[in-house]
Amino acid sequence: MPRPAPAPRRSSLTPFYVILGLVLLAGIGLLATKLKPATKEGANQGVAVTLTPDQLQRVGGISLGRVDAPITIYEFADFQCPHCAEFAAFIEPLIRQNLVETGKARYVFYEFPLGFKWSFLSARAGRCANAQGKFWEMHGMLFGRQRQWSFDPDATAQFVEYARTIPGLDAGKFEQCVRSDQFQKEVSESGQLGQSLGVQGTPTLFVNGRKVEPLPKTYSEFEAQVRQIAPGAFAGAPAAPAAAPAVGDTPGAVTGQSTQQ
Amino acid sequence: MSVARGEVGTAGVEEDYAPPPTSRMAIAVLALIGVFDAAYLSMYKLGIIGGLTCRVGSCEQVQNSPQSALLGIPVSVLGLGAYVALLALALVGVQPRFVRDRRIAQAIAAIAGVGVLFSAYLTYVEARVIYMWCQYCVISAILITLIFLLSLPGLRRARAAAS
Repeated sequence: MPRPAPAPRRSSLTPFYVILGLVLLAGIGLLATKLKPATKEGANQGVAVTLTPDQLQRVGGISLGRVDAPITIYEFADFQCPHCAEFAAFIEPLIRQNLVETGKARYVFYEFPLGFKWSFLSARAGRCANAQGKFWEMHGMLFGRQRQWSFDPDATAQFVEYARTIPGLDAGKFEQCVRSDQFQKEVSESGQLGQSLGVQGTPTLFVNGRKVEPLPKTYSEFEAQVRQIAPGAFAGAPAAPAAAPAVGDTPGAVTGQSTQQ
Repeated sequence: MSVARGEVGTAGVEEDYAPPPTSRMAIAVLALIGVFDAAYLSMYKLGIIGGLTCRVGSCEQVQNSPQSALLGIPVSVLGLGAYVALLALALVGVQPRFVRDRRIAQAIAAIAGVGVLFSAYLTYVEARVIYMWCQYCVISAILITLIFLLSLPGLRRARAAAS
């Protein structure tokens, strides 16, 4: 009588499937955290706009200060332009402190993307922050950390990192906005307004409609130019000291309401 | 009655029991990691996601280099196909009735071997042609090399079974 064959040994595959399942879950989780929405084509490029003189009058910048202030200062700037970053670090804070916060001036920022790699994208990033009322905070970040993101192949990721550090700014919504083509038209219109006013480089300043030339190297130079253009706004006020106090190289976040002009 | 070892039927299946080799299980796990690695790069290359998170190297520049596609097909997509095939073969290959299947062992070794050669070429391109590295490509090169090394015992078993 043949001996019955021994029951075959069966090595369970369960531990293998458990490990495979864990790797699968970890992989899906990791992939989900790395997913970034696709950036739209218009995110970093302008769109052709042709505005009539009437429409140009209504192009909105981002404004700080009293609407009825006797002085209106327009700045046309590019977040990737090194001179604009210097201006934002050394002169602009003093303009805000001495002219805007004292109610003498309203400061209106207009984008004028020059054509650096991220000129247009950074301009839109400013607008996206402005949509959440945080333009000036982002403005400070973009200028203050210009060297960090200018050569980054993924500037959007850097902008989102900055957004995370700004209290009250929803970084998720901000990223969605930056990766879309939202505000493409507004930034393009701002650029066209600059062109129509004869802006050729950045920063370019206008005080009560008059182009400020030459570009001031210090705040006191600028205030002297402003006093010439709008002397009435300084009635009784002493002139700025010849040497303006130095400020840090990172423009701080400025409190104040940002509004579309 | 069991079939003697080495008597592989025409279907290439031996009926007696053989425990699933650890090497093949490891191949499945590594291939699954490779699937995610290649899928991430493929999603970027196909425009499904906007950017790559890259801590080491210049992933996006590497992915946008002329050498990142072969005959119009993104290299990452080819890699994804290879890892999916390896995963499927390894999953089938751990099933008791296919453990000694010669064709599975040969297919795994062949795909992994081609993968190693192609990865060597891509690593050379990164180091000597475009002078940029992509961390995900390096991970993939390590994975495919490990898979190839792990496929060798299976190949030896298949040869022994055939002789």
